[in-house]
Amino acid sequence: MAEVAWLVRRPLIVGDKSVAQVTRDICAAMETRPSALWWAGFLAALSLLGLGVTAISYEISTGIGTWGENRTVGWAFDITNFVFWIGIGHAGTLISAILFLFRQRWRTSVNRAAEAMTIFAVMCAGIFPLIHMGRPWLAHWMFPYPNTRGSLWINFRSPLVWDFFAIATYLTISLTFWYVGLLPDLATIRDRTASPWRRRIAGILSLGWNGSTRTWQRYEVVYLLLAGLGTPLVVSVHTIVSWDFATSLIPGWHATIFPPYFVAGAIFSGMAMVLTLMIVARKTMQLEDYITPRHVDIMCKLIIATGGIVGLSYATEFFMALYSSNPYEQFVFLNRATGPLCWAYWTMVSCNVLVPQLLWFRRVRSNLVLVFVISIFVNIGMWFERFVIIVTSLHHDFLPSSWVSYRPTCIEVATLLGTFGLFFTCFLLFVRLVPVIAIGEVKAVVSHDKLSGGTHA
Amino acid sequence: MLTPKLTAIRLPGIQRGYEPEQPIRFSHRLHAGEMQISCQYCHSGAERSRHAGIPAASVCMNCHRFVTAPLGAVRAEDELAAKENRPPRRVIAPELRKLYDALGLDDDLRRDPAKPQRPIAWVKVHNLPDFAYFDHRPHVAAGVACQTCHGPVETMERMRQVADLTMGWCVNCHRDANRTGIAGHPVYASIDCAVCHY
Amino acid sequence: MSAEGANRYWRALEERGAATAAEGPDEFAARREGIDLFLSRRGFLKAAGFGAAGALLASCARAPVQEAIPFLSAPEEIVPGHALYYASTCAGCSAACGMLVKSRDGRPIKLEGNAEHPLSRGALCAAGQASILGLYDSHRLRSPLHRGQRASWEEVDRAVGERIATISKNGGAVRFLSSTITGPTIRAEIDRFLGSFADGRHVVYDPLSCSAILDAHERTHGARVLPRYLFDRAEVIASFDADFLGTWIAPVEFAAAWRAGRDLEAKPPRFSYHVQIEPLLSVTGSKADRRIRIAPRELGPALSHLAGLLAKKAGLTFSSPPPADPELSAALATLADRLWQARRRSLVVCGSQDVATQVACNFANEILQNYGNTLDVERPSYQKQGNDRALQELLSEISAGKVAALFIAAANPVSELPGGENIAAALDKLPLVVSFASHRDETADHAHFVCPDHHPLESWSDAEPVAGIISVTQPVIRPLGQTRSLVETLSTWRGRPTPAYEIFQASWRSRIFARQSQETSFQRFWDRAVHDGVAAVEPARFSPRPFDVSAVKPAAPAKAGAAEGLSLVLYAKVAMLAGQHAENPWLQELPDPISKVAWDNYACLAPATAAALGVAEGDVVRLDFGAGSLELPAYVQPGQHDGVVAVALGYGRKGTARFAGIGPRWLDAEPSVGRDGLVGVDASGALELTDGVLRYVREGVRIAKTGRTRPLACTQTHHTITVPDMFAANGSVRRPVVQETTYAAWQGNPAAGREGEEAESEDLWPDDHPYNGHRWAMAIDLTACTGCSACVVACQVENNIPVVGRDEVRRHREMHWLRIDRYYSGSQAEVDVVYEPMLCQQCENAPCETVCPVLATVHSEEGLNEQVYNRCVGTRYCANNCPYKTRRFNWFNYPHQDPFANLVLNPDVAVRSRGVMEKCSFCVQRIQQAKIEAKQAGQPVADGAIQPACQQTCPAGAIVFGDLNDRSSRVAAAVANPRRFRVLEEMNVRPSVNYLRVVRNRDETDGEKSHG
Repeated sequence: MAEVAWLVRRPLIVGDKSVAQVTRDICAAMETRPSALWWAGFLAALSLLGLGVTAISYEISTGIGTWGENRTVGWAFDITNFVFWIGIGHAGTLISAILFLFRQRWRTSVNRAAEAMTIFAVMCAGIFPLIHMGRPWLAHWMFPYPNTRGSLWINFRSPLVWDFFAIATYLTISLTFWYVGLLPDLATIRDRTASPWRRRIAGILSLGWNGSTRTWQRYEVVYLLLAGLGTPLVVSVHTIVSWDFATSLIPGWHATIFPPYFVAGAIFSGMAMVLTLMIVARKTMQLEDYITPRHVDIMCKLIIATGGIVGLSYATEFFMALYSSNPYEQFVFLNRATGPLCWAYWTMVSCNVLVPQLLWFRRVRSNLVLVFVISIFVNIGMWFERFVIIVTSLHHDFLPSSWVSYRPTCIEVATLLGTFGLFFTCFLLFVRLVPVIAIGEVKAVVSHDKLSGGTHA
Repeated sequence: MLTPKLTAIRLPGIQRGYEPEQPIRFSHRLHAGEMQISCQYCHSGAERSRHAGIPAASVCMNCHRFVTAPLGAVRAEDELAAKENRPPRRVIAPELRKLYDALGLDDDLRRDPAKPQRPIAWVKVHNLPDFAYFDHRPHVAAGVACQTCHGPVETMERMRQVADLTMGWCVNCHRDANRTGIAGHPVYASIDCAVCHY
Repeated sequence: MSAEGANRYWRALEERGAATAAEGPDEFAARREGIDLFLSRRGFLKAAGFGAAGALLASCARAPVQEAIPFLSAPEEIVPGHALYYASTCAGCSAACGMLVKSRDGRPIKLEGNAEHPLSRGALCAAGQASILGLYDSHRLRSPLHRGQRASWEEVDRAVGERIATISKNGGAVRFLSSTITGPTIRAEIDRFLGSFADGRHVVYDPLSCSAILDAHERTHGARVLPRYLFDRAEVIASFDADFLGTWIAPVEFAAAWRAGRDLEAKPPRFSYHVQIEPLLSVTGSKADRRIRIAPRELGPALSHLAGLLAKKAGLTFSSPPPADPELSAALATLADRLWQARRRSLVVCGSQDVATQVACNFANEILQNYGNTLDVERPSYQKQGNDRALQELLSEISAGKVAALFIAAANPVSELPGGENIAAALDKLPLVVSFASHRDETADHAHFVCPDHHPLESWSDAEPVAGIISVTQPVIRPLGQTRSLVETLSTWRGRPTPAYEIFQASWRSRIFARQSQETSFQRFWDRAVHDGVAAVEPARFSPRPFDVSAVKPAAPAKAGAAEGLSLVLYAKVAMLAGQHAENPWLQELPDPISKVAWDNYACLAPATAAALGVAEGDVVRLDFGAGSLELPAYVQPGQHDGVVAVALGYGRKGTARFAGIGPRWLDAEPSVGRDGLVGVDASGALELTDGVLRYVREGVRIAKTGRTRPLACTQTHHTITVPDMFAANGSVRRPVVQETTYAAWQGNPAAGREGEEAESEDLWPDDHPYNGHRWAMAIDLTACTGCSACVVACQVENNIPVVGRDEVRRHREMHWLRIDRYYSGSQAEVDVVYEPMLCQQCENAPCETVCPVLATVHSEEGLNEQVYNRCVGTRYCANNCPYKTRRFNWFNYPHQDPFANLVLNPDVAVRSRGVMEKCSFCVQRIQQAKIEAKQAGQPVADGAIQPACQQTCPAGAIVFGDLNDRSSRVAAAVANPRRFRVLEEMNVRPSVNYLRVVRNRDETDGEKSHG
């Protein structure tokens, strides 16, 4: 309640908008012609995507050997990117599901974009489990189906199988959630748009939405249920991803701390990505009134919180290693900090632990440029976290005879860039085709009388 | 349990019913069925090697040095010869001539240096993928009847693949064998992967 | 040979000949079938790749028609798919080990040691194992050459015949140059051929020469003989730079004997004391109980001083000044004591090419009364007959143009000898040069005629490596090209063309049959010899002159004059030897046992020297030795003498240009050859042939950095079991992955040296592996393992393991299923070496099995960890989770383009496609084979009936494989051995591969001496 009272005092949306104006403002982005800036961004993203497609098709036609991996380091960029992108996705689910259940009404300005981000991130992530296989054309063998081999099933003990299901579920739920949230706005588009094509498509997609109270009520119920379904995913997906490592016996991998550690890291990175996108979006799309410094401020605080957890996890890992008196465990962590790949480790620490500390200062939080820069740092840092966990643990493991180094090839780098290409291509299309902000929900927080009169939920 | 239903529709790579033309119209029905020649008389590899093997032409000659045509044809020639009172000519059935040609024999079944020897290129009917290592010996030793896998060969004019030769088909037979034994006596048929795949 | 085994071999050629002669086309058909089988396998595996994608299409199409082409009339012993073994003799080097050739459907596919052979005792070395690939070498000459152009034998015979006629008319000098040929028949044929000329002489040299030993014995015993060394009888072995476990004379024979001399399981246990005094770290040195680094020029004086010390003990008046280094002289004093205590049961060997030093060595052995006990001059060895003095004379004759005709067999002087280009130039001037080389090698290029000899697997031959032991070489396949056996060629040119078979039978009837008594009929004797592959006959005895002490002169102390600069030592690698195997990709890719570097030779520098010069591994350095210079990458070699730079011979061979394109081709790939298009650098230019000996050491060599670098393809980047201090938290300095102890400690407590507890703790896993039937396991005795790497190649041949090329090895993607981890301990200068063969440990609680999503790697009911290639989708999770990192991934489709070389592939093992994980299977194909045969015979699988390729070929008999459920099996005994430990036991993955602790014959009783 205190939260609500506080909300009463300061509106979430500034420049007290009329409901009609809200619609106009948000729909503006779709109804005007794309700006030169958008085109520039889109072409850049598209070319990156092209690069990635080329790299991947070369790898698939030639062999995994086109990557820098070797007999000791069996996973590197591929799984690093996979975990990175899955992590990015989590913020969306968190914002849309958990914050919804917690009545965090500020989320309304960002949830649409965040959910879109989730979907695109999961798409990017999904590529890697597929292409990291030596024989991707046999990927369907990962799926349990009756066959003529007597029958030969899959290995349900394998974390990779768990992954397969976790991610499939994650994508489905996120997609449904996003789509259901879109319904009222699709209706808005249908009703506003001039172009017959748009109307027809929006008409079909909006499933005959008529804005009646009953529709709204049904909608709210479904949305709430989906939020309920989505919530466990925030925890489960990255927990299962972390089991890929936690259940193995490689020092630096098999650690019970991994699930919470990974989940926190995921939200941390996701929030950073949301900030990165939102700060740009509000500027370029004149949405300053909807995505206000306050939103940024709150998300910064979330970043500090999750960043704190991540930092603590790093420390805990180290402590446990030294405390365990397991020579292999100890070695792995000392090697991370001082070994041949220590530069990656310290990049990770400085980006994820040191830099975010700046956000303790309100002045920093209110300086959007700084926040933007910091969010970029966090993104980089979180990518390196996965790289450090995967590569430094593998490259010097039990038998010194198999210790080797690892260097990525251009193909691997191109593949990573390609996924960014895919992500931004999708995102830029998204901002052109559907409202980046959930109009229906935002309207709920514009006028004060509605507020005090309880919520729709 | 789903396997039989699935294999009812022919899945990719399953060659059940494969019945290719052979260079010589050799009839298993005649040899194995009517004549009751035991399978391993010709396919002697079955108990000595992984492959049962296709008999060398010399094996055919063990009989066909003397049997050169169906009895009917020979009788007819004899009668004709008797009528024309001349020594009966040797009758050579067209399919057998192919055998003699392959060996480079003349009509009196003597080696004719002029004729080249060229081996007979039979068409393999039962093909397993190259990563599956099947060995006839343990199956023969365990007393598995040839027909269990090759079907009622003694009734076939032309050789035909009867079993679908899928992994499931092999494995299920091994499972059954462990349960019921073979020809009365208990056996142990492993279903380890490395029994066939290495 | 068991009676059952007996009928698998040929008894005589007629049997075989009849079959093949009559059935020629069919035999080839059978072989074609072999190829198809193979090609279709690759075809299939490709299809399996894209097949799933195009499954729907495939479902409406029939599989491609496969033909089966039987024999017209099958030869008695040939059953398709059934392997036959023929006894023969290895031609990998002049040691002539006995071997069995495994022949499948008419093509030889594997060489195995012949257990009946008295010298090699069932073992083969890496080079021997790999030599089968030479048979299918597509670069082999298929027909004779005349001035480099293909020619018919008729033309060549006519042309050569005419020239020979004129030469013998005007009595020109005819010389026959060859490396050591031990075969009595061939030698006789050559003599006969030369006999038809007024001035004919047979000159023999060895690229890895032992000439000085023979010269020394001429001085001391009055005859140029190479004694036969009996290491098994020696209780104290002092080796002065003789790499007898690696490359010296007959490594396989010596390794087996050396091993027999250190058997802890024998009752009572015997364990020889082995001291190695050498400039560089050799394989032999790495196994020595005491190893002393010495400058090459100190070697002679040191040995002479040792002889002096022994002489004093024997009360003889002979003394030689002690070496400058007090530590060395002290070591020599103690060595002298131990040798003296072990009179008649000790052995001093020396690899030096300095005759005086060798004389001192003989003297030492004479004083110790070792002659007739641990070395035998009355039944000498014929494995090295090279006479460098004769060679030197011949070369001067050649350069003077005094030779009318030169015949060169089994030798490549232009590339093996110093001043090769001068020799080449001189050859061009001679009226007639005939080479019998099988390739267009450096020398053949300068021959008027090249008359290629058969590959040893195609021809009849014999060998007498040691007086009285004659082994037979029989053809196991009809010649693949228009080559002709050497003896046949010579007989033709003598005007009496005779088939090789007749020549050999005649020679055996006349020469060898007479020398034995147990067989009365020659045919029976011959058949038995061909069947067994070896015959023991009466050696051509000669009684040496009593030891001539006057020949012995105390060596002058090493002259300090030569001190400036480094001494360049040219050595041979286990795989390359003098380079005769340079064109064998298996051997090129075999990591050197010591340096673990493949595909290159390099300048080995001691760590101190490298540091002083500021040279790091991979820096290309220039070695200046006056007469010329070499540029090659540096390699920092612990345990090497600071004053030495060592370079391997046998590289930079012309033929290695073929490897330019080997390995996968992709955008970032680098060629396997150097800038000059060859593999490695030819160092033979640095050899010296002066006053009658070929010298492998040069003093006063200058070394300088060139600024270029060439990263070496090294399979092991971290060389100690010791974690670098910076990473070493409390007490975690050394990893207990290898355990060792000393003989003294072992005598006190056979379990001495154990680190950590036996991890037989309670298991959290459900015990779902009852192992009711067999329970396969392996034990590897690290005390015996010499690191010779024969097992690595044997495994590669048996299991169709691809060659991936230098670049891939550099990227740590070598495919060897079996690798030999080599760890140093001790200081950088004084290192101890342990070898630890590392293969899939076939864990009971296998970490790889739980993580595979598609069940491509699962546990068998007999304890095997099965890898199913056709099920694998290649996530590499299993490899990541393998604590031993023994799994190998097919990063590419490794090229199998050469259909000729593909004939060597083992049809019983699938060729793996790209994107598939593979690993050691304990040679499961052999297990299945043996089980099936046992099942047919209605008997249990006998212990020893299954030998994985690695065990079969191991010269030291270090590997034992068998069934743990068979309490009486050798492996069960090994597992019960208190020396047994398992690597990473604390992980409780319960490996099925057990190791027996390293034991060194040392006095200090603390097993775990410090490892820095």
